[in-house]
This record gives sequence, C-alpha cells and structure tokens, in this order.
Amino acid sequence: METNIEIQAVDELPNLDISESVTEFTGTSGKYYAREFGRIQESSNGYCWTFNLASALFGPLWATARGLWGLFWVFSVLEVIAAVMIGLGSWGDLGADQFARAERLAGNYERMMERVESAIEQGDEEGEASFRKRADGLLKAQEKALADAEEVEAGATRILVTGIILLVLVKVFEGLVANIAYERQYTRWRADRKVRSGFNRSSGILGAVIVSFVYVVTLMRFTSGNPPEIITEFPIDNTIYLQISSWIDYWFDIASRNFAFLFFGISRAIRIILDGVETLLVGTPWPVVMAVIIIFAYRSAGSRVAIFTAAALCYLAVFGFWQKSMATVALLGTASFLCIAIGIPLGVWFARSQRAYTFARPVLDLMQTLPSFVYLIPIIAFFGTGKPPGILASMIFGLPPIIRLTALGIREVPKDVVEAARAFGATDMQILRGIEVPLATPSIMAGVNQTIMMCLSLVVIAALIDAKGLGYDVLVALQYAAKGQGILAGIAILFCAIIIDRVVQGRFKDAEKGG
Amino acid sequence: MSEETGMPDVLEEVPELDLSDSIRDFAGANAEYYAETLTRIQADTENIKFWNMSAVLLGPVWSAARGLWSMFWLFTLGELVALVQIGKGIWGDLGAAKMAEAEKFSQRASEIRIDAANSGNAATSLEIADNLDNAAQIAMAEAQALGDNWWLYLSFGLTAFAALRVVQGMYANRLYEMQYSRWLVNRSIPSGFSWNRLGYAAAMLVFIVPLTLYRFTVSAPVSWMVDFPANKDYFTVSSNWLDGWFDRTADSGKEFFDAITLVAQAVLDTIELALVDTPWPVVAVLLVLVAWRVASIRIAIFTAASLAYIGILGLWEASMISIVMVGTASFFCILIGIPLGIWFAGNERAYTAARPVLDLMQTIPPFVYLIPIIAFFGTGKVPGVLATIIFAMPPVVRLTALGMRQVSPMVKEAAAAFGATPRQILFGVELPLARPAIMTGVNQTILMSLSMVVIASLIGAKGLGQEVLVALQFVAKGQGILSGLAILFCAMMLDRIVQGRFQRQEER
Amino acid sequence: MKDDVVIKLKSAWKIFGTRADEAMKAIETAGIGKAEVLEQYGAVVGIADVSFNVRRGEIFCIMGLSGSGKSTLVRHVNRLIEPTSGEIWLLGQDVMKLSPSALREVRAKRIGMVFQHMALLPHRSVRDNVAYPLEIRGESKARRWNVSQHTLGLVGLEGFEDRFPRELSGGMQQRVGLARALACDPDVLLMDEPFSALDPLIRRQLQDQFMALSDQLHKTTLFITHDLDEAIRLGTRIAIMKDGRIVQIGTPEEIVTNPADDYVRDFVQNISKLKLIFAHTIQVPISDYAAKQGEDLSLSPRISQDVDLDHLVDVAVTTNQPIVTTDEAGADIGVVSKDRLLQGIKGGK
Repeated sequence: METNIEIQAVDELPNLDISESVTEFTGTSGKYYAREFGRIQESSNGYCWTFNLASALFGPLWATARGLWGLFWVFSVLEVIAAVMIGLGSWGDLGADQFARAERLAGNYERMMERVESAIEQGDEEGEASFRKRADGLLKAQEKALADAEEVEAGATRILVTGIILLVLVKVFEGLVANIAYERQYTRWRADRKVRSGFNRSSGILGAVIVSFVYVVTLMRFTSGNPPEIITEFPIDNTIYLQISSWIDYWFDIASRNFAFLFFGISRAIRIILDGVETLLVGTPWPVVMAVIIIFAYRSAGSRVAIFTAAALCYLAVFGFWQKSMATVALLGTASFLCIAIGIPLGVWFARSQRAYTFARPVLDLMQTLPSFVYLIPIIAFFGTGKPPGILASMIFGLPPIIRLTALGIREVPKDVVEAARAFGATDMQILRGIEVPLATPSIMAGVNQTIMMCLSLVVIAALIDAKGLGYDVLVALQYAAKGQGILAGIAILFCAIIIDRVVQGRFKDAEKGG
Repeated sequence: MSEETGMPDVLEEVPELDLSDSIRDFAGANAEYYAETLTRIQADTENIKFWNMSAVLLGPVWSAARGLWSMFWLFTLGELVALVQIGKGIWGDLGAAKMAEAEKFSQRASEIRIDAANSGNAATSLEIADNLDNAAQIAMAEAQALGDNWWLYLSFGLTAFAALRVVQGMYANRLYEMQYSRWLVNRSIPSGFSWNRLGYAAAMLVFIVPLTLYRFTVSAPVSWMVDFPANKDYFTVSSNWLDGWFDRTADSGKEFFDAITLVAQAVLDTIELALVDTPWPVVAVLLVLVAWRVASIRIAIFTAASLAYIGILGLWEASMISIVMVGTASFFCILIGIPLGIWFAGNERAYTAARPVLDLMQTIPPFVYLIPIIAFFGTGKVPGVLATIIFAMPPVVRLTALGMRQVSPMVKEAAAAFGATPRQILFGVELPLARPAIMTGVNQTILMSLSMVVIASLIGAKGLGQEVLVALQFVAKGQGILSGLAILFCAMMLDRIVQGRFQRQEER
Repeated sequence: MKDDVVIKLKSAWKIFGTRADEAMKAIETAGIGKAEVLEQYGAVVGIADVSFNVRRGEIFCIMGLSGSGKSTLVRHVNRLIEPTSGEIWLLGQDVMKLSPSALREVRAKRIGMVFQHMALLPHRSVRDNVAYPLEIRGESKARRWNVSQHTLGLVGLEGFEDRFPRELSGGMQQRVGLARALACDPDVLLMDEPFSALDPLIRRQLQDQFMALSDQLHKTTLFITHDLDEAIRLGTRIAIMKDGRIVQIGTPEEIVTNPADDYVRDFVQNISKLKLIFAHTIQVPISDYAAKQGEDLSLSPRISQDVDLDHLVDVAVTTNQPIVTTDEAGADIGVVSKDRLLQGIKGGK
C-alpha cells in the first residue's frame, strides 16, 4: 500500500495478523483457534501448553470433523484399547473359565462324596478311605479353582481401573495434541489449499460410524465370553475354495493333455541345450574345466579374482561338490543363455515400440512380483519335474531384468546421435547395430549380470521340483536340520555366485573400457 | 553425381592414406605379407576371402600367437569336438556299452539255467534263459555293428577338423584386420607375433587335448578324471565340526538369541493381535479406509476386491498371518535400515565396508542363510521373520543412503550457513528431500518381504506360503494358484497403498 | 535461373499433435490462427507457410529465437520431420515423392548435416566418426579412411584420428562434426546451430574457419542460428523467423537498413552497421550536392562507392572535406558528407 517502506528494526516488526485466515481455515470457533495458534506460533519450538476441550471430549470424532485423519487413527486405536480394558473389567467374564472348572470340580466332588457314602453304607472301609482321599483332592482343586477365579475377578477390577486411567490419559493426550496438530495442518493449508480445512460435519459422521462400528465389534470380540462366530472367523465354508481349485485342476489337466506336444517340444529343446552345456562342464575332465575357468577369470577380471576363483574351485572339489556344482552351473548357464537370447531381442522391440512396452510392462512386473514358488506350480503341471522345468522357472524369474535394461539402455541412447545417423541415410538396421546396441551395451551388460544372479537364486529353489544340483543338498539339509552339511553346500552355492558375478562384472568393465 | 549437379567434387581425388607402416608396426613378424593383405582387405567391398596359410597350418596356435583370443577359444572347442570323433573312430570302443549289456544278459541266462536245474519249474525257466541268450546275441550283433561304424566317426571327425581349419584360414586375415583397427585406437590391444603367447597356447592345448580326448574316447576312463577324487572324510569331518560349532554357539549365545527372538516375538504378537485377533470386519473396513484416505478411491476398491477374494476363498487367516510376518519384517527393516542408510550416507568408510555385505545379502540365495537361522533360532515364525529381514533390508539401506547423498550440497550448505545444527540439517533438510528415495526403498522392502513368504514357510512360518508349499508338494495346481494369487493380491495391496501415499506426497 | 535453385520450400506447414491433419484443414479453409489451433485441436504450429529458395553456393541463414521453428524447418529439407503440407524440392527433385530408400540415398549422398550438440558417436574413434556416412553407403574401409583423413585435414584436425570424441574439446568436436558432414561430399550442408554451444572465442574461430572452407568448397549451405551477428557475418542472405513464420528475407544490408517490422528492427538495433552499409547507400548524387562554405569537392578524397562505412570513417578522419565516391570507371558519382556518414552509422539513410 505504502510506496516507501519504512525500515524497521526486526524486533519492532508489527505482528502478522493471522486471525482472518485462521477463521477462514477453521470455519467454526475461529477466534479460539486464532488465539491458540497465535500462542503456538509465538513459542520458540512450536510446542506450548494448550488444551482443546472439544478434542478431549470427542477425540476421534473431533479429529475427523477437522480433517485430521492421522490423529483419528491414533485416537481410535488408543480409545479402543482403553475401552476393551474397561469392558473386560466391568462385564467381561474373566473368571468364567475358572468358575466353570470349579463348578465341574464341585460336581465331581459331590459324586465322589456319594460314592463315599455308599461305601460307608456297604461298610467298605478301604473303598471309603480311597474315595474320601480322592474327594479331598477334588475339593482342594475346586477351592483352588475358585480362588483362581476370584483372583482373576479381582484382577478384573485392576483391569477396569487401568482401563479407566488409560482412557483418562488418552483424553488428556487428545486434548493436548489437538491444537498443535491442527496448527500444523493450518500451516500446510496456507501453502496448499487442497489440505482439508473447516469443520466438516459429514466427515465427522463418517468418523462416528467407523468408530461405533469398530467399538461394537471389537468390544464384542474381546469382552464377551463367547463372541458370535461371524466376527471371529470369516463366515465361509471350504466349498467355494475346493470347487474353484478343482475347476482349475480340471482345466490344467485338459490343457496339459491337449498341448502335450508343445510342452514336450519346449522341454526337449531346453534339454538339448542343457545336454550340450553339461557335456562341456560335467563331462570334460575336471582339470581341464578348472584350468579354463581360472584362465577365463584371470583374463576378464585380473589376477586377484583368478586366485579367488582357484581357491573357490578347490573348495568345491575338495568337499566333493564338483559334479553337483558343475550341474548347477550348467542349469544356470542354460537358463541365462536362454534369457539373454530371448530377452535382448524383446528389449530391443520394447524400446522401439511404445505400445508393445506399455502392454508388456505389467507382465514384467507380475513376473518379478509373483513369488517364484507360485509359478513353479503351473510349470510342474505342464512340464512335470526335472531339470527343463527348473530352467523354465528360472527363466520366468530371470527374463525381466534383461528385457527392462535392454529397453532402458536403447531408450537412453542420445536422440541426437540417432538423428545424426538418420540424417546420413542410415537404415533402421544400421542404426540398431551400429549405434543403439553398442551405446546400450553397459546397460545391457548390467541386465545380463542381474539376470544371471536372478537365475542363480531360482536354480537353487528349482531343487524343489527335482532339478538337483547344489540346491538339493541345501534343501535336504534344511529338512533334516543338518546344519553342517547345509552350510557347506550353501557356501558352495555362494562361491559359484561370486565367481560368476565377478567374472561377468570384470567382462563388463572391459567392455566399458573398450567402448 | 557431379555431372548432374555441376558441383566440384573435391573429395573425388583425395590422397591415399598410407597405413602400411603402421600395419607393419602392428604385425611385427611377417610384416610385409600383412601390410599387403590388410591394405587389400581395407580396399575391398566385395567380401573377398584372403587365405592365410599359417592360420590353416597352426590353427588355434596361430590365433593365440597373434593375440586373437576369442578366436583361439572358439576354434579350440570346435577342434576338440572334431578330435574326439576322430579318436572314437580310431581307438574308441564304440560297441562297449552294448557289449556290456550282452554280457549281462548271457550271465543272467546262465544263472537262471543253474537255478532251473535245482527247481521244479525247469521248463519256464529254461525258456526265459533262452530268451535272454537271444537278447544277448542281438546286443552282441548291435555292438558289432556299432564297432563297424568306426569309419563314420573317423570321417566325420576328419571332415569337421578340415572344415574348421579352412574356416580359420578364410577368416584369419579379416579378423586380424579388425584387431588392427581396434589396435589403432587402443594400443593396449595385443599386437605382433608373440612367442610367449604361442608357448602359452601350446601348453594349454597340450594340457587340454589329451585329457579330453582320453575322457571321451575311452569307454571306461579312470575315475579320478571323471569326478574329483574327493575324500569323503573331509566333508564329514567338516560338517560334523560345523554341527558342533553351531550347537556350541547356539548354547553359549542362548541369551542373545533368545533376546532377539523375544523382541521379534513381541512385535509379531502385537501386530498379530491387531490383524488376526481383531474381528475381520474391523480389519477389512480399516484396510479399505486406509487405502482410500491414504491413496485413492480406486485403490480402495482394489483393496476391497482383494480382501473379498481372500475372504471368500477362506484364506483370511493365512493371509493375515502372512501380512503380519511381512509387516513385522518390514517394520524391523525400516527401523534398522533407515538409520543405517543415514549413517552410510554420511560416512564414506562405513559405506565402503558395508557395500559388499549388502551385495552379498542380495546375491546369496535365501536358502543358504535359512540354515544358520534354523541353527540359532529354531523353526517357526520368528526365524522366518529374521530370514525375511536379511533378504529385504538392503533396498531400504541402499536407497536411504542414495537419497541422502543426492540431496543437493548447496541446500545443505545454505542451511549450515544459517547456523543449522547437524540435527536440524538432518531432520529439516536432508530427510525431507531424501523422502522419495526412502519411500521407494520402503516399497521395495515390502515387496521383497512378500516374496520371501513362501521360503520362510519352509522353516515353519505358516501363512499363505505354507499353502503354496503344500500345493507344490502334492502338485495341487488349483490350490497352489489360488493361494499364490492371494499372495500376489496382498503384495499389490500393500504396494499400491504405500505407493499411493508416496504419490500423494509428491503432488504436494 | 530455376536450375540454380538448390533448395526450395513452398508454403510448408508443420503442425505437431495427433489431430494435425484436421487442424491443417481448418487453417486452409477457415484460416484460424495459432492460438485457435492449440485450443481447438490441441496441436502446436511448428512452421507456418514457409517458402524460400536457396541458390547454388550461397549461405542462407535462418535466424530466430528459440521456439521460432528454425530447427524444425531445417529438418524438413531432409525429411527428418515430415511436413504437414507444402512442397520441398532439393536439386530439382521433389523430396516428398521419394521412396524411403531413395530418401536414404539423398541423405547419404547429397546432404551433410551438422548438429547443435555435435551428435558424434561416442563409441567410435574420430576417424570412424568422420567415415560414418561413407560406411553407411558401403564404401571400402580404405576409401573411408582416405576421405576421413582428408576432411580432417580440411578442418585442421590431423593427428587426432585415433582419439575418441570425448577426449576432444567442444570446438574440436564440432570440427569433427563438420568434417563428418563434408566427408560424403554433399551438395548441400545443413547446419543446425552448429556453433551456439561453444564459447564466444571458439565460436568466432570456427566461424572464420567455416567461412574459409566455404570459400574453398562453395557448398550450398542452410545455416540455422539464433545469433544475428553470426547470421550477418556468415550469411549471403538471411531469413528471420518468428513463431514459425518467415518475417523477412534479404541480404544482411537489406535487413539492417530496411527492417520489415518492429520485431526485426528490435533485433538489428544494436548491430554495428559499419561493415553492412556501403557508400552507395548513403551518398548524395554529386549533381544534387550543394557544397557548403569552405568545401571544395576537387580537394576531396576519391573512393569507390562500394566501400563500407568502416572504410569511409577511416578516410573521413584524414580530411575536412566531404568524400567523393566514384563508380567502377572512376568517374565521380556521389558525395558523402560527414553528416550523412554519421547518420549512416546510426542506421538511417
């Protein structure tokens, strides 16, 4: 308003009058809140003693009406806990079990006494003595049960008192916290008018409905001696579950019968590749395989990794894991090879076709989110057990990273480089092979590494469906709690993982340097 | 071109670039030949083949001497396969397996004959024996036939070997030219003719070829070659020693392990009380409401539908148990992970030390660390939760550290310039700005916890995981898929709610 | 003279958006404006009704601020961006009628392009970057390398053949970009703000080098820039773009002395006119000149009427007399008084 602003010392600045905006924010009781907010804002650390009676009285309802849903949940939970305690204390039949037991014992005692009397009538002294002894025992037990029950009953008062104290504390807490939280909400609201403001009757009613529902059902569950079944257990019988599951079984059977040739063909193809890799790793004499692996590690990752590799391979050999670990690596190699062979072209396709990628993304997400065991089931159903199904399961798990990272890498190739190539008349194929793939190589290699690791973790699980290898040893050890064996086999798996990881990453760094 | 446009074609007569000196440098031995051949290859557009005689004669050894290692390995493998065929043809006992079969048959036949003499049922036994003899003869004949096929193996092997050498001869110069082009820009690429490399390759071949040939061509190779002659005792002794060690440690550290169990159990019980013991209508209503308030109405509907699925199929309790476990594990992951992440973000040395551990936690298949967990904590829910924590903690630690590191140093500097204490910077600047990354970490942690549900049930953690595991054991496809979907829905429900919360905050 | 036109655009339009065709129709029939197009069709007008000819050997500069559509425009010439409507002719060929393979052939042989951010291939050596267009054409390696060696020599980068682009400075990288564009010996050079990402000093050096090369090679060039100084330094003719339209086309002198509207006038206001305006523009015919007191035209220095103001100033400081200009034959033709000279420097006539 004024054209020339007077320069004032900071201490003498006029107070910012927020009352109007607070009133706008709170709707009702604007004055009260303006005053309280002012006090809170004046305090140096944002806390001060301020008590909101409405909140203390109505707790959760006040919170919902004022749009403080976070407080609502906290208040409701605390109040419900206190209410359950009060309920348990005042009408909950805490001693019910013990009382029932005492009554049963009393009945038994009486029956026993009858026997005693009949024994007296018959003059059977020996019987009388033994019956009396037993009756005494029963009497004592009954007395103890009664005492217990009373003790628990007495405890009920304690629970009641605790509940009431808790309720009072909760109320005090509600009163104390309310204004501070509300002031924060107000500060947020000033910056963002979408934040809930005002006194909202309908939210208050919603809160009331929720609270009363929760109160009633929870109190019923915890305080009544035998709550109605509908609230303890979902009122459903097994039939729907069984029906649907047998229906699924039925369709699976039909599908596996009708497409047997397809499943068999896939298994067969995988088997052929696997056999090749197995001959290479398991069939070739171990000194040769060992030497070649160490040389490979040396060439791609340097002498330190080579020494580690040598030591790890010695471990595998000395503890008799050689063939098993080579079989595992063969499984892993086949699975990773197939993942890469399928995943890279798919990734390239998804990078180029936005529509395909949009469709595929949820599937990829699903493949990674679904616990691996779940898709072991259809795989067993269609492919049976053994190594090829194990490889298939690993592929489902291992494919997403390579697809994703290939697509990502190609999408991240600078647009202007691709445009330059196009401006010089390059065909799509030339752009793909000469520019996009080489530039996406780091990303693709990261994908390959992740895929291998994913496959490894599944190859172990695949032991469950009879894919053998090191995972099987661990599984057996788990079942019989044979710690030593399990750890030895586990370390073998770990070494395989580390060797592969290091060698692949070493290669990856080479590729980086060369590029 | 230039005639049409009348433009001066300045580049039509560019001077020749003479690389022959540099090729001579590169090739070392036999420089003149390569200078000429490589120059011709460079001028060629028709893919003419330039024959390299030394590659034909020396094969892989040539590639190694010239530093073409990929070519060396590829052709070594190919030639080995060819050599194995040749070996089988020349000295391999091709019919050995069939022969052994025949022998078994005839032996069995003679056994039956001896038995027949003693038993009453001589006629049928003799008949069986005759049949077996017949079979033995057939097998013998087949073995003979296989043995007569030696020339097939031999000729196949020879042809393959020759073909491989021809291919090497044809492509050697082209590959060598590619190597030269790479060498031009990167002088660390091997160049020249190196006797060292040649010796190295020859030694390798001398080691590999005879062993492999022996292994694949002899019908019964010595056993130490087939499998490592491991002494079973080592394994037994070590595993017994480990068993003992675990028992002793579990014994001596009983208080420690019990304390951990107690804490985890307490949290587990509290959450279980809230989710399992609270009447299901309350839990369902609360979950839907939370989804609505925290995320959006769409996610609330999705949550309601998922809960209905779970309830109607009678998987309510199992699901709640699983969610309890996931909740407990995530709770601990967040409780431990975020402070750790903050620490690692500030302390470079700690992070360097911790990174391999984090990598390892994510790399090791979870099966492996189930074993020590069983050893120390037994079976049940708590060990399941502990295994889940190990598996699911890395993302939240990593992403918290990452998020904190990505906070612009300028902002921190500004805060420090106004005299903010480290604590004020942490809570007022770093954490709010790192929040998106931390939330992503929390989300990932929750999802990873859910993926451990089944594995944890291997050590007796109950819940949905057990349903899946049982289904897997009995190949009960329907049941397995239904409970698997229940896991998926739980995961998506939690994921969407947490993400929805995160997105809402982002919008602000 | 039609033959002399190398690039020709005839009322080219580009409208971005999913409903571009409908929007185009509406523009043609209803003549709606840019704002309406955005509002009604959610489409953005990239270039609007652009027509120009580029003649053989000339450097045709297109100047405009960012968002004026100049980069979009240059990509129409080799159809990296398809126009929504209009005609594009290159060397007498209708570019719009080319098949994909013929278009690739034109791109590979007729057009060289230089990009604002160099767009070099980071995984290839400098040599192979320059050789890339030839590799696409399927030339032998020897030929590729010969040419790349030669063109790298043209841009003064001998000895850097076996480096990678990342090892070079920005200016050197852009010289590689230029060499790459020249390597396929194109008829036309398209330069999309080639020097704007560089430091002022380096930019200046590259401009000089480019001019020298251009004098040597006579490539028809379409040069995009947002810098009027650069356009004036390099351009044979300049087109000024605003909001997708060409506001004015002319020689640097025409633009400076005769801005078509206030937009252009704003631009040229601070441009030094010394080298843009020539004596013949400001001279008064000798017959009309009324000598003032103490002036004697016979004592005046004689100078060709084609010299620029810069030169005139140099002469004027040596004498008190007005300057007499002569035609090619050496005959006196006009007079430039000091008043006229000062006016000319201010940009008036």
